[in-house]
Amino acid sequence: MQQTFLQRLDGNARRVVPFGLTLILMLFAMTPTYIPGLSHVTPMYALIAVYFWSVYRPDLLGYGAVFGIGLLEDLLAGTALGSGALILLLCQKIVLHQRKFFNAKPFGITWLAFVLVAFGASLLRWVCVGVAGASGFMPFGEMITSFAMTAALFPVIAWLLAKAQMKLLAQP
Amino acid sequence: MRQSTGQISRLGTLKSLLQRFAFLSLIGITFGLILIGKADTVLVERARVAVTDAVTPILGVMSEPAAMIANFVNNIRELAAIREENAQLREENARLLQWQSVAQRLETENRSMRGLLAAVPEPASHFVTARVVADMGGAFAQSIIITAGSEAGVKKGQVVMTGDGVIGRVTQAGLYSSRVLLITDINSRIPVLVGEAGNRAILVGDNGLRLRLLYLGSKTAAVQGDKVVTSGDGKAFPPGLPIGQVTRVEDGVFEVEPYVVRDKVQYVRVVDFGLTGLLAEQAVKK
Repeated sequence: MQQTFLQRLDGNARRVVPFGLTLILMLFAMTPTYIPGLSHVTPMYALIAVYFWSVYRPDLLGYGAVFGIGLLEDLLAGTALGSGALILLLCQKIVLHQRKFFNAKPFGITWLAFVLVAFGASLLRWVCVGVAGASGFMPFGEMITSFAMTAALFPVIAWLLAKAQMKLLAQP
Repeated sequence: MRQSTGQISRLGTLKSLLQRFAFLSLIGITFGLILIGKADTVLVERARVAVTDAVTPILGVMSEPAAMIANFVNNIRELAAIREENAQLREENARLLQWQSVAQRLETENRSMRGLLAAVPEPASHFVTARVVADMGGAFAQSIIITAGSEAGVKKGQVVMTGDGVIGRVTQAGLYSSRVLLITDINSRIPVLVGEAGNRAILVGDNGLRLRLLYLGSKTAAVQGDKVVTSGDGKAFPPGLPIGQVTRVEDGVFEVEPYVVRDKVQYVRVVDFGLTGLLAEQAVKK
C-alpha cells in the first residue's frame, strides 16, 4: 500500500520526537528557574533524556543526534568543548551494550541503573572539565549536588517522556 | 529464500559495523574537540558566539513562562508585605533626605577642590540594560546569557551589575547576545579591597554560592561583616563597586556572600567604564 505524502510527513515527524524532546530538555536546563537556592546547580536533563530513549526506543535516537546535542550544550554552556558530547555518547553506548539487561526490567531497576550511569557521567565530566579548564579541578561537592538532583529528578522526567512516547510514538 | 536470508544477515552485519564505526569516530571527534578547545581558543570562541547568537531568541521565548511565574509570585509576596514595607520606606526616605543634603554639600566641596587641584575628571560611564535568558547554573560553569550584544554597544570585558552590586564580566560578545562570566565561576578572579582598612585581596569563585578571599596577608585581615568592594587594580573593574560581605572566617579561610541574589536576577546592566582591562587591545588581538 502506497503511503500518501501527509502520512510520510507524519511518520518522519514522529521519528524526530526523541531528538526534539532531548534538545528541548537540554535548552530547558539552561533557562532561569528563579527557584531560591537552586540557581547555581542544574540537573543534567539531557542525560536523563538520552538514557530514557536509549532504553525504550534506541532505534529513534542515533549516535550523531546525541553527539549534536552534546556539542550544542558545550557551545552554549561555555563548558569544555566535547566533554558534554563525550558523556552523552558513552551513556548511550553503555545502555545499548547492555540491551539484554534493560529488557522488560521494572522501573526501580532502570532508575537504579541510571543512578550508576549518572554518577559515572558526573565523575567523568568533572575530570574532563578539570583537565581542559584553566583553573584546575572544581570542588567535589557541587558535582555531587548536581548528580543527586539529576538522580532524584529521573522519575519525573522519565514519566513525562513516557507520556510523550505513548501519545506520539504508539504503534498503530 | 536462503539467499535472501543471507543477504539480510549480511546487511545487518554491515549496519552494526557502520554503527560501531560511527560511535568510535564520534568519540574520536570529541577528544579532538577537547584538544582544539585547549589549543585554538579564538576559533572555539567564534563558534560559541555564532551558536549563542542563533539560539538566544529560542532561549528568550523559553525563559518567558518561568519569568512570568516568578513575577506573579513576587507580586503576591509584595502585596502581603505592603504596609510593613511602606513604613520602612518612609523611615528610609527621611534618612536618605538627610544624606542627600550631605551629598550635595560634598559635591560642591569636591568640585571646588577639583578646580583647585586641576584634577582630570574620570571618564563617564554608559550602560545598557539586558534581559537574562539563560542561566548556566551547572556545577561545571557559572555564566549567564543576556540579550544585548555588540549591536547595543556591549564589548568583551565590560562590567555587569544589578542594583545590588557586581554580578560578573562580559567574556563573549556576539551581535545580539553576550555571555557573562559570573563572579561565582571557578575561573573568576577579582582584585578587591576588604573592610574599612581596605586590605587588598583576590576574590575567587568555586562554582558554588559563596566566594573566597585569597592572598589577604594575615589571618586577621578581615572579620565577619566586612564589606568587599572592587579595588580597581589591573584596570579590569573600576574601584569601589560593591560585591559582597564577609560571612565566615575560619582558619584563614574567608567566605564572602555576594550582594546579588542570583535567583532574582531578571535584568542586568552592562556598564562601560571606559577601561581597557589587564591587557592592551593590541596584545589581546595578537
